[in-house]
Amino acid sequence: MKKLITKIEGEATLQIQGDEVVEWVDIEFHQFRGIEKYLENKHYMDALVINPRVCGICGHSHLIATAKAIENAFEAELSDKAKYIRELTLNFEIIENHIKWFYITLFPTQIKDKKYLFKALQFSQKISQAIALIAGQYPHNSYAIPGGITSDITYLDLTKVKNILLELQKFENEIWDDFDLFFKNLPKETGKSNNRFLTKDLDISKVKEIQNNPYQNVTYDGLYYETGPLARMKKNIEFVYQEYEDSIYSRIYARVYEIFYLINKNIEIISLVDLSEKSYIKPKIISNKGYSIIEAPRGILIHEIEILNEKIKRYNIIVPTQFNLSNGTKENPSAAQKAMINERKEYLDTIFKCFDICAVCVGH
Amino acid sequence: MREEKKEVIMRTALSLFAKKGFYSTTIADIAKEMGMSVGNMYNYFASKEALAKELLLYTSKKFGSEIKKINEQNITSKEKIEKIIELYFNMAVNEPEVVDYFMRVYLSNKEIFNNGCEGMLCVSAFVTEIMIFFEEGVRKKELKNQDFFVAFGLFMGYIGGIVFLNNDGVLPKPLTEYTKDVSENIYNALKA
Amino acid sequence: MHLKPKVIWIDAIGCNGCSHSFFNLPYLSTLLEKLDILYHPLLESDEFKIQESDILVIEGALKDIKKFDSNLLTIIEKLFVNTKRVIALGSCASFGGMFGEGLIFNKEKLGKFYPCKNKVINLPGCPIHPEWLGYIFDMLIENKPILLDEENRPKEIYSFVSHSGCIRNEYFDWKVDSDDFGSKEGCLFYNQGCQGPFTHSSCNKILWNEVSSKPRAGTPCFGCTERNFPKENLFKTDTMMGIPSKIPLGVTKRAYLTLAGIAKSLKNERLEKRLFEYEKTNNKNRG
Repeated sequence: MKKLITKIEGEATLQIQGDEVVEWVDIEFHQFRGIEKYLENKHYMDALVINPRVCGICGHSHLIATAKAIENAFEAELSDKAKYIRELTLNFEIIENHIKWFYITLFPTQIKDKKYLFKALQFSQKISQAIALIAGQYPHNSYAIPGGITSDITYLDLTKVKNILLELQKFENEIWDDFDLFFKNLPKETGKSNNRFLTKDLDISKVKEIQNNPYQNVTYDGLYYETGPLARMKKNIEFVYQEYEDSIYSRIYARVYEIFYLINKNIEIISLVDLSEKSYIKPKIISNKGYSIIEAPRGILIHEIEILNEKIKRYNIIVPTQFNLSNGTKENPSAAQKAMINERKEYLDTIFKCFDICAVCVGH
Repeated sequence: MREEKKEVIMRTALSLFAKKGFYSTTIADIAKEMGMSVGNMYNYFASKEALAKELLLYTSKKFGSEIKKINEQNITSKEKIEKIIELYFNMAVNEPEVVDYFMRVYLSNKEIFNNGCEGMLCVSAFVTEIMIFFEEGVRKKELKNQDFFVAFGLFMGYIGGIVFLNNDGVLPKPLTEYTKDVSENIYNALKA
Repeated sequence: MHLKPKVIWIDAIGCNGCSHSFFNLPYLSTLLEKLDILYHPLLESDEFKIQESDILVIEGALKDIKKFDSNLLTIIEKLFVNTKRVIALGSCASFGGMFGEGLIFNKEKLGKFYPCKNKVINLPGCPIHPEWLGYIFDMLIENKPILLDEENRPKEIYSFVSHSGCIRNEYFDWKVDSDDFGSKEGCLFYNQGCQGPFTHSSCNKILWNEVSSKPRAGTPCFGCTERNFPKENLFKTDTMMGIPSKIPLGVTKRAYLTLAGIAKSLKNERLEKRLFEYEKTNNKNRG
């Protein structure tokens, strides 16, 4: 049976085998843009404008990954100030993604009520504003460039950013109440997967892309791993993970937990920023290869670049959704596939969306 | 009427500066040559410095408007170069006091012009035309894209230098006979 | 247009950035009450089906791909014919952008739907500013006529340039160019490729996220509301013998060069140096 899943920054089709319970599911995506090819022969700085447009909700992560990949190729130096400020905005995007996903994508699979959309937007508008105070606008800024950042912010700007964070902290209890509400009629043990996790502290030589034209599946050491908030926050939510392992409960819990974890982290980072340092240190431009591995909202994001005479010779992007939603095999299923197997079809939408899919990213 | 009179005063001043030198020429000298009283002179120019600046604006504008006419012609950059050189050399021969003022007074006595003619302020009329000439040339892919001042220095330095040699009486041929060769050298240096 | 217009919002091939930007509209909840959203790619709505609508919003560029068990171009054609007004949302739908073709215009050629251009309002931008779409929705709801320019862009938004209201204007006026990235001082037009002076938009008039804009954050304007977006070498100013090849709108080259020359010759001492300097501090409890 075929099931079209929508509202996942695009669409995907699930080809399901099985009657009451899922025996196997193939995952198919539809969109493809060929951005890696589009980048070839462009000036390397142009990638900072093109790559955020891989995605409208996690474009900022692509920007940071691009800047870092080029910096890796140039062996560039950054001030601590630039590093901290980039971490601030990257964290903000993760927070905004989790909120939007929780209320706009996930919640409607169980509870349909418009008020949750507006609750999410109240939050996300403030976060977008916090990013704009630093980077000029959100979505789609290019303030992170190889060597640092273009902006020259003041403590007045940081005061405004910090106050946004303090306001957001007040919502913590309310959001956890909504989390409990979501699970009122939903079994917490569903959606257990391979229980294999990957964070950015990996050995890049073990990452392999397998053609699934025009997309690519991604294995690590030959196996499919799960990446994302659960992989990142597992040790912080040990008590939940021990009880529920990698079920949808842990997966969603980790995302909600990470929201407030990162809000706290950002408040801490702000106190460390020393604005007397330089925003930008001009790097030495050389022909070379470079790569970056960062933690984006949905998990590991990898950018690889090869620069020749200031032009992009080759560019490769591996997005977290490729890791989690690879189209594996019965012997070697991906995290999302394993999570759906042996589960009742009525929970498919929720289980699938638990992996916070970004279809446009897959179709880059 | 007043503007015409002003122009005559300026031309008189130019020829006196060329003959006697800038510092040796006084307002009284100019007034005497014009058959005016010194008091009346001051109605037209508040001081010798003011006169010097106006002369700079006047000569730049003159040169600039001639180059503008060349710029507006539908000819190649190579041809434009030749016409600009021709213009400049003709001016050096027929109105030597103008070229003389520019090279001997302006370039050599910058301190006179520091207040009110900073940088290229008072020569903008003609520098703008050179910029437009260069920009068109690069746009039409006839000239090489390079730093403006490198090209400008080559152009102006070269033609200024030839005129200088001419004024020293060193050149065997009349100045205008060098137009073709000088233009060709400049074009070869600047071409795409 | 009756009281609550029926809106179909379809995603062609793009990044959804325009939707996410639209979600930053401060009065979004009030606006959504005035619209009957039949379909939106991200917001909870009924299943998609080809049906009549009052307003069709197309986000993303046109490309011959599969969509919803059908073909994207076929779906768009059918929706286009069965609607009253079409909003080409973003640079992708307006001019093609990076991923495909625009509705009525492409970068150089005309678009497939050009014969029906009177039905279409172009809102280019990458992404659009939420207020721009909020304004258009409101005008359509109220049945007010919308003034459009030759590229079908609303004049109330696109008659301004990104340059209008930039806080670096003083530096532009006095030709104090930024030497490099990372400072709040200096104009980004000459060395950093800023296209502000000739890009039609309202980015420094209606600020982004109510607080800022790219040039305020030291990033040059990339000209994303114009037909040729993105050009090559976005961080570099094209110059011909040192003279910018594109100059502010409405000014002749001669006039611009004369003014620039004068400004460059005279000095504004206040603007020649940094406004203030921070002292290096080891104090952790400052922020």
